[in-house]
Amino acid sequence: MLLREVEYAKPTSVGEALELLAANDGARALAGGQTMINVMKARAASPDMLVDLNGLEELRGIELAGDGTLTIGAMTTYTELIRSAEAKARPILGEVCATIADVQVRNRGTIGGNVCSNDPTNHLPPLMVAVGARMTIAGAGGEREVSAEEFFLGVYLTAVGPGELLTRISVPAGKKDGFAAVTLGADGTCICNAAASVNGAVRVALGCVDAVPVLVTAETPDGVADAVRAASLMPPSDVHASSEYRTHLAEVLATRAAQEAAGR
Amino acid sequence: MSETTLAPAPVEVQKGWGGQSVPRKEDKRLLQGEGVFVDDVKRHGMGYLHFVRSPYAHAHITRVDVSAAEAIDGVYGTLTGEEVAALTDPFFQISSVPGANIKDYALALGKVRYVGEPVVAVVAETRELARDASELVEVDYEPLPAVVDARRAQDSETPVLHDDAGGNLMWTGLYKWGDLDAAFAEADRVVKIPELHFHRFNSTPLECDGALVEFNRGVGQWTIHTNNQFPGFAAIMMGPAMKVGLDKLRFVTQDIGGGFGNKITSHPQLVVCCLLARKLNRPVQWTEWRTDFHLSMSHGNERWFEDTEVAVKNDGTLLGFRTKALDDAGAWLRYEPLGGVIWAQVTPGMYRWRHIELEFTQVATNKAPVSPNRGYSRMQHLWFTERVIDIVARELGLDPVEVRKRNYIRAEDMPYETPNGCIYDSGDYAAMLDLALELIDYDSIPAKRADAKERGKLLGVGIGSTLDSGTNNFGQSRLINPELQFSGNNEVATVKLDIFGEIVVTLGTTPQGQGHETTAAQVVADILSCSVDDVHVRAGHDSYWNSHAGFSGTYASQFAVTGLGAVKGATDMLAAEIKKLAGAVFGGVPAEALELADGGVRIKDNHDAFLPFMACGAIINANNAGLPEDLDVTLNCRYVYRPPFEVPDVERKFGNLTLTYAAQVHVAVVEVDPETGAYEIVDYAAVDDCGKRINPQIVEGQVMGATAQAIGAAIHETYEYDEDGNLLTPNFYDYHVPHALDMPPLATGAIESPSPFTPLGTKGMGEGGGAGIHAVCAAIQDATGAIVTDSHNPYQRVWRLLQERA
Amino acid sequence: MDVTVTVNGTAYERDVEPRKLLIHFLRDDLDLTGSHVGCDTGNCGACSVILDGVLVKSCMLLAVQANGASIETVEGLSEDGELTPLQQAFNEHHALQCGYCTPGMLMSATALLRESPSPSDEEIKKALQGNICRCTGYWNIFEAVKSVAK
Repeated sequence: MLLREVEYAKPTSVGEALELLAANDGARALAGGQTMINVMKARAASPDMLVDLNGLEELRGIELAGDGTLTIGAMTTYTELIRSAEAKARPILGEVCATIADVQVRNRGTIGGNVCSNDPTNHLPPLMVAVGARMTIAGAGGEREVSAEEFFLGVYLTAVGPGELLTRISVPAGKKDGFAAVTLGADGTCICNAAASVNGAVRVALGCVDAVPVLVTAETPDGVADAVRAASLMPPSDVHASSEYRTHLAEVLATRAAQEAAGR
Repeated sequence: MSETTLAPAPVEVQKGWGGQSVPRKEDKRLLQGEGVFVDDVKRHGMGYLHFVRSPYAHAHITRVDVSAAEAIDGVYGTLTGEEVAALTDPFFQISSVPGANIKDYALALGKVRYVGEPVVAVVAETRELARDASELVEVDYEPLPAVVDARRAQDSETPVLHDDAGGNLMWTGLYKWGDLDAAFAEADRVVKIPELHFHRFNSTPLECDGALVEFNRGVGQWTIHTNNQFPGFAAIMMGPAMKVGLDKLRFVTQDIGGGFGNKITSHPQLVVCCLLARKLNRPVQWTEWRTDFHLSMSHGNERWFEDTEVAVKNDGTLLGFRTKALDDAGAWLRYEPLGGVIWAQVTPGMYRWRHIELEFTQVATNKAPVSPNRGYSRMQHLWFTERVIDIVARELGLDPVEVRKRNYIRAEDMPYETPNGCIYDSGDYAAMLDLALELIDYDSIPAKRADAKERGKLLGVGIGSTLDSGTNNFGQSRLINPELQFSGNNEVATVKLDIFGEIVVTLGTTPQGQGHETTAAQVVADILSCSVDDVHVRAGHDSYWNSHAGFSGTYASQFAVTGLGAVKGATDMLAAEIKKLAGAVFGGVPAEALELADGGVRIKDNHDAFLPFMACGAIINANNAGLPEDLDVTLNCRYVYRPPFEVPDVERKFGNLTLTYAAQVHVAVVEVDPETGAYEIVDYAAVDDCGKRINPQIVEGQVMGATAQAIGAAIHETYEYDEDGNLLTPNFYDYHVPHALDMPPLATGAIESPSPFTPLGTKGMGEGGGAGIHAVCAAIQDATGAIVTDSHNPYQRVWRLLQERA
Repeated sequence: MDVTVTVNGTAYERDVEPRKLLIHFLRDDLDLTGSHVGCDTGNCGACSVILDGVLVKSCMLLAVQANGASIETVEGLSEDGELTPLQQAFNEHHALQCGYCTPGMLMSATALLRESPSPSDEEIKKALQGNICRCTGYWNIFEAVKSVAK
């Protein structure tokens, strides 16, 4: 419950934030804190310094371009996204965010924090993969863009390296999306989840079954179950689900998400 | 979202405060954030305590070195198991041999026996510093294999937790009543159930345990601010261990953030706080964090019922059963093995079978110690009887409603003596079932089932009927250990008139949300014929009030009988004294000619002769010259309520073990998603009968709370361990309790069958007997067509049931 | 580090370690013990406060993050010691038993009603989803909040 000693800095620009992160090996970005503070309470990880991003307006805001592309600042909170008129251009985003935890978490937790923590049970990593999002990462050398599929590298591990920050996420236009999950209680932690997007063919990204979202594709929603089986999943077992049960859920939820997407 | 239907009460509508849903006196301070919970109490110079806890389920301790921790500036001191063993005697053991031989100290000595067991205590200037310093305490362990499955605990190759006990068997006893051989001979069929399992969980009160302990060196007395809900028990355990008289342990509680039985066995941690307060000569503050609580405090009894055989007639009449109950006590016996007899308060459940054999075995395992959890030990047994009824009904192809009605003890049989001599005081279970079915609109179920099927869901309906036995006869402890010298029960209250006529009440109880201040005021106001607003009930419990006796506390569904019995007794005494005083003041008027009314006392035939309470208080306290010499009046009355019990017959294991039997009947309707096993409760009804209800709204609140906890336990809540003895659900992230969105619609109903045995016709209630678990299990069985044998049915288990069925 | 906060209209200035959680700052440093700690993973909501108009769990923020902020806690709800309509409703509907979750519930309900004076049943549940109660089963809490809806 009680944190180890830590230094705290609140930069006033992204540049300053990057400098602090680059100069201090044990420095970590503090976004919404809804994961980081918990990790520090448990002393599972104890950064030497927290670089608080909450003062950086450059990282906030949602823009809708003429071609329907949404650009979401990494420090956008779930609540801001849910309320955003622009974000309605891709309704699945707000719909999924509204099922994350509770009001208090949604008021502070951020889109960027969710994807950067890459907890296998998170909602947004599979969703970003399904909708084909692209992540912009800033570092000392400038900015670079990676696809969502390339962004998620391992459990709690993403393409954001030391001294770098995720600054924004671009989501292409689209409306035929679906999301299905079995959770630990209503709006609870996901036991298994699947995000789907239909654009001609069907893309389904599975969460909770591996270190990173697992992407399968099929021609139609009917073919999704076979595609999941062909992926030969070996999900972890834990107190909430055995590997066998998770595998089964993945098939069912992938199909449901795909059917929802196709039906929009 | 919830409605209440009151079935016709068999007694006349009450006038006065009793029976009214008076809004609670407690609420104002709690709503304004002005409650005083133990962590709110501060003392100048207090040190904050952090426990170093075992990372192993089972290990020898080979070295403890606190020097690095103590060297830190701001660390006030430490305490180790060796010190505890030098300063204290082991805690008294309730059990007979072999459990009696275990040596339980306040900190681990020589060995650790569960993950999270306190090993060393560190006290420092700030919470954070105590936590940091604890990482510098060096403890070396030699790990041992962990015992995690109670069914393997007595195997020859299984490691032994307590060498002093010679094995992991803690207690065993055979209970046998009636003539089981004759029952089986008479039976048309014997239904066999190989294994039923009641899982490990507890009630996770939102406030965890805690204490702030001060030591007064001058008089050698500790003041223990804490939220322990049974100070009587804590004192009896702590005093002898610390080798001090009980008057040296002053317990002070005010507001407690939930107890549910889980705040009864904090005495080891309290002893640590006491020893450190004395050693360091400063107040010591301990906050138990959520993870600490999950790892170490008060898990509920996990119990298997093996090789059950039920003798039945073809028409569904139950004649008798035999079963083997295996109970997992965890690493220490702190209130156990009382669970080994407390179930016998409800031996036949709600049913009329007379021939019963139950072999009870309790073993130790490398898990958190078990201690009372809401519904303590009766819930497990009642779940067993409800599973039996539903499984029998299924085997015989009969309707579970009809089988229950055929077997329920009938209203006209009350008071009913059970096969082991317990007396069910009153109740009409069939009427409760009818009311519950009506509330759920049972006739509409077939149509709802068809509709669910159209939507691809399986609908199921299940009944859970249960008893809430209240007011223990502690003599039942002798069935565990004939040498124990406990019996009966008691509770204390004082009522006085102060100098300005203020009515002041103290209780011996330690409420954790049950509204004692309000209900006690209602009883007092009725007797003194005044307003509840004129009755001031002190908040909480304090040994200094001398308003407690050996069994004081709030546990085991008894306040409405013991607490209110004491309040009634004290107030009756006060009323009599007021009349005596007035009679003398009026010049020799007899008591029969006087009445209490309008905040005072008057002559019945002449209301002008009126003495307000203020005058009474003033005369006795400050103006008493000229009163008759033999006037025996103090206006400060203390009463000890004692329920009418005999010591049970230890040989036959026979006798009345609890005074009252409240009952609940619940019906749950679930919809199961057959593809995933996920399910939700779509409708729910709960009917309660706890005799005369002093405050119906408070009673209903208890029914609702118990329902929510039972639903949580049925679906998500479980304390599960891996094979190394690591707890997999050590916090609220993984141990999912119901949140707002999880709640089904709820309809409640009530019947009042007064108890003929209690001062006010009330029955203790509050625990609720786990009816929600019984109902959800039954509903899942109905929905899936598979026999449900486990009390815990997360989505994965339901999915497996469907797979096995297919 | 220096922290300046306004709580319930009163300004405070303290020197705190960066690692100190806001809930501990409120309870231990400012003696505002109305907000409670019920867990150690940010799940229970007993610590909920309103910070710059936004409902948050104060155990999930560092005190230093609240520098310059205006915080409302349960102690600031009632005026002149009298219960507000929301608090009265909790009393009338028996929406509290032990009272430990109640401060958090009141802050969450207050945040809801400011934004949505006539919430639906579903909106009420959603608004209270981050506040665990073990005593009441929530049903009476829903009724209490509903009763003060416009």
